[in-house]
Amino acid sequence: MAGLNIVIRQLMKEKRDVILSILFGFIAGIAAVGLFTASGYLISQAALGVPITALTVIIAIVKLLGFTRALSRYSERYFSHRATFTMLSHIRVQFFEKLQSLTPSRVQRFRTGDLLSRFVSDVESLQNFFLRIFYPPIVLVLIFLSTVLFTLYFSFWIALLLVIGLLLSTVILPALFAKVRQTTEQPVQEKRSDLSAQATELLFGYQDLKIHQKLADQGEAFNTANDELIQAQTKERKHELWNQVLDGWVGLLMAWAVLAVGGWLIVSGQMDGVWLAMFMLLTLTVFENTQPMAAFPQYFLENKKAANRIFFNENEAVNEPIQPLGDAGAIDISFRGVDFTYPNEPRATLKNVSLSIPSDSKTAVIGASGSGKSTLLQLILKLEEASVGEVYINSQAVSQITPESLWQQTNTVMQDQQFFTGTIRDNLLSDASDEQLTYALKRARLTDFSLTDEVYEKGDNLSGGEKQRLAIARLFLRDTNLWLLDEPTSSLDQVTAREVMTEILRDAENDTLVIVSHNLKGLENMDHIIVMDHGEVVEQGTFDELMARKGYFYQLKEIEKDTL
Amino acid sequence: MLLKPLIKRQTYIQLSIVSIVMALTIIAQAYLIVSIIEAIFLSNATFTAILPSLGLLLLVISLRAGMNYLNGLIGLHSANQAKKKLRNRVLTHFTKQPVDLSSQGRSGEKVTQLINVVEQTDSYFSQYIPKMIQATIVPLAILAIIFTQNWVSGVIILVTAPFIPLFMAIIGMKTKDKSEEQLNELSSFSGQFLDSLQGLTTLKLFGQSDREKSRIEDSSINFRQATLGVLAVAFTSAFMMELISMLSMGLIALELALGLIIFDTIKFATAFFVLLLAPEFYIALKDLSSAFHSGRESLTASRKLEGQLNEPVEELSWGEKSLTSRPPRIQLSGVSFAYDESETVQDVSATIEAGSFVAIVGKSGAGKTTLLHLIARLLPVHSGEVFVNDIEQDRLGEHAWFNELSYISQHPYIFSGTIYDNIQMSEPSATKEDIEHAAKQAGLEPLIDLLDDGLHTVIGEGGRGLSGGEKQRVALARAFLKQPSIILFDEPTTGLDLKTEQVLNESIEKLARHATLITVAHRMHTIQKADQIIVMDEGQVVGTGQHDALSKTNATYQSLIGDTAGGERDGWS
Repeated sequence: MAGLNIVIRQLMKEKRDVILSILFGFIAGIAAVGLFTASGYLISQAALGVPITALTVIIAIVKLLGFTRALSRYSERYFSHRATFTMLSHIRVQFFEKLQSLTPSRVQRFRTGDLLSRFVSDVESLQNFFLRIFYPPIVLVLIFLSTVLFTLYFSFWIALLLVIGLLLSTVILPALFAKVRQTTEQPVQEKRSDLSAQATELLFGYQDLKIHQKLADQGEAFNTANDELIQAQTKERKHELWNQVLDGWVGLLMAWAVLAVGGWLIVSGQMDGVWLAMFMLLTLTVFENTQPMAAFPQYFLENKKAANRIFFNENEAVNEPIQPLGDAGAIDISFRGVDFTYPNEPRATLKNVSLSIPSDSKTAVIGASGSGKSTLLQLILKLEEASVGEVYINSQAVSQITPESLWQQTNTVMQDQQFFTGTIRDNLLSDASDEQLTYALKRARLTDFSLTDEVYEKGDNLSGGEKQRLAIARLFLRDTNLWLLDEPTSSLDQVTAREVMTEILRDAENDTLVIVSHNLKGLENMDHIIVMDHGEVVEQGTFDELMARKGYFYQLKEIEKDTL
Repeated sequence: MLLKPLIKRQTYIQLSIVSIVMALTIIAQAYLIVSIIEAIFLSNATFTAILPSLGLLLLVISLRAGMNYLNGLIGLHSANQAKKKLRNRVLTHFTKQPVDLSSQGRSGEKVTQLINVVEQTDSYFSQYIPKMIQATIVPLAILAIIFTQNWVSGVIILVTAPFIPLFMAIIGMKTKDKSEEQLNELSSFSGQFLDSLQGLTTLKLFGQSDREKSRIEDSSINFRQATLGVLAVAFTSAFMMELISMLSMGLIALELALGLIIFDTIKFATAFFVLLLAPEFYIALKDLSSAFHSGRESLTASRKLEGQLNEPVEELSWGEKSLTSRPPRIQLSGVSFAYDESETVQDVSATIEAGSFVAIVGKSGAGKTTLLHLIARLLPVHSGEVFVNDIEQDRLGEHAWFNELSYISQHPYIFSGTIYDNIQMSEPSATKEDIEHAAKQAGLEPLIDLLDDGLHTVIGEGGRGLSGGEKQRVALARAFLKQPSIILFDEPTTGLDLKTEQVLNESIEKLARHATLITVAHRMHTIQKADQIIVMDEGQVVGTGQHDALSKTNATYQSLIGDTAGGERDGWS
């Protein structure tokens, strides 16, 4: 429930719209009841032959109610949707704040686990919260309350019947169905991801399956998973169908009961016959309002889960005390016996890494994919934290440094650099003047772009090379002492790569710079080279030292020479 | 139309019967209610006299509920069968397609089509069709009955009812484009929010996360305004519908009252009966419009699938011959293939002797990998012929051919399962010893020793990740286990660790002892060892021969190896 409480709090910021939705919902519902009640009365009175003037009044009322109903329904929809969308906006902001407060490594985990898109759809699913969970029951109770009070004036027994019917269709049946539902719901999601996994194996592994003649087997596995998914879905949907049908049936049943009881009351002289048609129509109409309640348990459970997922309780141990990184102007870095293992990975990604990067030096980290190069940078940036050992920056342990103070002094290009829907200007992530921004683009060799050019979701309309240059342009707008670059020019042609690197080195001349690369060219100019293999530092030194040693680096260099 | 033929005739018949019975129950329900009320209210009947009618009414309303259930159930089953067939068809289409060179990028999209897009067609079968049939039969039946009772009411309905679809159509025409645009915006808006969440690290690194927060707020509110604008139109159409039905029902009530009192042309029972049936008519019409709505998403999905299924398939045909001698001799005679600019092979002729080692070299985009795919018969030749031991390749049996073949690509796929399973797939009958031996030969031992579960460690999707070099070694182990007589090898360009480099070198030599080896080569030492080098440029063979000869005579080859001979190319990353 904790999650939903937060949702309610956000919703309550929009009290006016909430109240208006309830009010108009009530008017719309009660107008319909009134409309049919009046028609029932009208037809009975007409049969008895009342004066035409009395009938004219009732007919006028009927018309008015019809118009009122249509108009109120419109207003109800408008206000309830406005409240919902405003609430969603509050929730988005709140969720963003929450994510902001988490440690970077936690956020990183969400990203790799694809949990973020799950969160986004959870937030979207909360649009049902007000529209289908929160206010319809309130409106329903109000309508019933008024109807029962009105009925009570004529007959206790019919009023009682209405109350019983209400309880049956809004409390007893939904509770019953909710209970059954809990047992059927799980498999559908599971089966769906099973099927998706089978499809992934089949389509991504197509070539290998084809050559190993395993396509038919995999197709069979896919079909089995498909059958299982459909079976699970059938079970769930049959259950929903029952729920709906039974709910409609209860409404009709209540009208039937009113007819029987009313008939009895009239025959036994306790009620005037002229009211029977009226109550019959009243009952039929009022129970139409309970129909949406059939889906209530389903939405409620879904929203409860979604809200709890979004507003989870974090049990993160925060390692105080933490202090900002002193602004010494120059930055040196050292790793002392650092091990790092990703959660749920049996093997360590970094093993006993010790190294030191002096201030103002230019260092290259090289190695094959999966050798742990990028992880090295993530540990320096505090995006991940060492499992064993410690990283030091200017002799301050990274674990004791506030990340913001560190980031403020760092210029980074990461492997999975992000881009945002908006303009090029937005994506430069800087408050600098337009001239400065344009100049940064020029230095990054992005002259084809203007600041107002559009950037799509995730930068989908940019090529790999354009993204890299945009990421590099960001660097030219900041004045920092530390540069951490993870394969910043891997998608650029050699000429552009060299030009852009020259620009970077010009800015970083008096700074500490670490560049990760799996390419071995141009390393002669670096002060220091660190060679990594499967999580370990296998060699380090200057270019000449490493070449003279004829070790790992030398051999890699030989292979490179040998490669076309 | 893709979806319609998937519905069985039987389903239409069942749905029609259910709808007819439903219409009858609606009419019977109104009739019984009227007769009970009339008996008590006007005819002063005893309670026992109405008991049979009450009993019958209970039966009728239960039957009505039952028909509702059946209607849903038929729709559900029809949707199930249709989705099953659709998934099968789409999958068959995908698997018939020979290896798609650009498939790496499109596989994710294909998974989405198989799972989500097919799922989106569901409402066509489970909602749209059942509701359409019901919403056609029920109002017609009701209208017919009303006409028999009081033709004036019938005329009122007949005159007013068309206004509903008319207004819907007018409003629909105005909003369709706008609301579809809005739907797109809706998905792009949540994408934008996802962007902000995923970019949080980048934003924080650049000290911009607070600014992003207010951006989320602003765009949320803008989005709310835009959405409400479109919704308001939808609400208006609902408003018009409600208003028309309310007004015409009021008109009917007025007409009935006048008939009852002033003209005395209508009896109470008739009037009440019509009054009960009229709303049912409009409710059924409302269902019709919601049916249209629910069918819309399905039709979009259907168009997507149709587009996919209409893409031509170049199916590969096979014969029944088996390989006469191993390792085989392979001959290419005027082989051509075109997919797009970078995947073109033009008029390639070459002879690859049995047991020889051939290296294919060329710039990127020269058609090397495509040629390898053609030799593997993962792609069909568009013209020309591939001969294996002088037999046309398409006369060979599919199994006979692939049983002899190993293909080690730059990015071998690791299936979700254990390392053991991943190696065993190349030779299902292999024993445990065979597999351990193959793993050892492929240099997987150090990795296996490191893992708690050894060979039985789960890898691939959902299992632990392997580095690029380790994946290569798993692919090698598959080849060692299979002992093929033809090996196709796409030599990795960069990014391997020294250990894997060394393992690859040794392994390829070992494997090549009993096989014809064709490799797309990037390493000089590989190329120099080749019995024959095929030099490719822009899809064509521009030279064949051995290193010594080619390096003297072939300009393309010279420029290719020139870089390495000349030593350093400078550059970064």
